Amino acid sequence: MMEHNTTVDRIAAGLGGGLVLLGVVVLGLVETLAGKPYGAAPLTNDAGEVIATPLIDPTLRTGLVLAGLAVLALYALYRIATPEPATEDDAPAEVVAD
Amino acid sequence: MAYRAADPTANEFDLAPQGAWTAYWLAILRVVTGWWFFHAGVTKLIEDGLAYTYGPAYLQQMTGTALGPIPVWMGEHLGWAIQALVPLGETFIGLALMAGALVRLAAAGGAFFMTLFWVGNAEFGHGLVNADLMGLLLFLTMIVLATGRYYGLDAIIEKTEFVRKRPKLRYLLG
Repeated sequence: MMEHNTTVDRIAAGLGGGLVLLGVVVLGLVETLAGKPYGAAPLTNDAGEVIATPLIDPTLRTGLVLAGLAVLALYALYRIATPEPATEDDAPAEVVAD
Repeated sequence: MAYRAADPTANEFDLAPQGAWTAYWLAILRVVTGWWFFHAGVTKLIEDGLAYTYGPAYLQQMTGTALGPIPVWMGEHLGWAIQALVPLGETFIGLALMAGALVRLAAAGGAFFMTLFWVGNAEFGHGLVNADLMGLLLFLTMIVLATGRYYGLDAIIEKTEFVRKRPKLRYLLG
C-alpha cells in the first residue's frame, strides 16, 4: 500500500479524516456514554415535550465533519493548483517542418 | 483492480497495489459505516438488553414485500432469537467494521440487515433509491473492495500463517 509522502499529504489526511471521525465516532461515543438521548436528537415524551437534550450540540458535531471534508476539499484544490513535476514524457516532441 | 497470477491468494477483487488516498478513504468509509451500526446496536442493548421486542414486530408487519412470506415467518417463528440477534448483530457488525476485522463476513451481515430495512421501511416517497439502499450498497462496497485491508486488522490477519495456508479465508476477511 502506498503511503502519504509529503507533509501536506499527511496534514490533510490526518486533519481531514481526524475531524470527520471526531465528529461522528469520538463525540458519538461520548454522547452515547453520557446517557439519554443516546443520539443527536432530543428525547420527547408523548406530549411532544423535550425531556432530554443531547450533551453535545449536533451543530458542533456536524460542523466538525464538514470542517474535515473542507480540509480535504482544500487539499484537492491545492493539488489541482500545484504543477505536476516534469517527467520524461513531458519532453517536447520534435515538430518536423513541412 | 489488480490480478496477480503469481499470488495464489490474490483474487479478482483484490485492490492492491493502490494509491494512498484510495486506501485512506475506504478506511474512513469503513469506520463511519461501522459506527453507524455499532451505535444502533449498542443503544438497543443499553435500552432493551437482549429483549428487543420491536425486532420481531417489525418483521411481522413486512407483508406484501419482494421478500414474500420470509420476514413474517421469521418474525413469528424466530422472534426469541431475533430479539437478541438484532442488537448483538448490529453491535458486532459495527465493531468488526471499525476494527477492520472479518470485514467481508460482517459486511455480509450488514447487507442482510439493510435488505430488510430497505424493503421493510418502504420509504419510497422520493424513489426506490433512498438512504436504506445506499446503506445496503455501502456494505456491498465493503465486501467487493475488501476494505479491512486498509488500516484494518484484516491486513495483519491475512498475513498470518493460518490464513496463508487457508487462502479461502480471505473471502471472509478483507
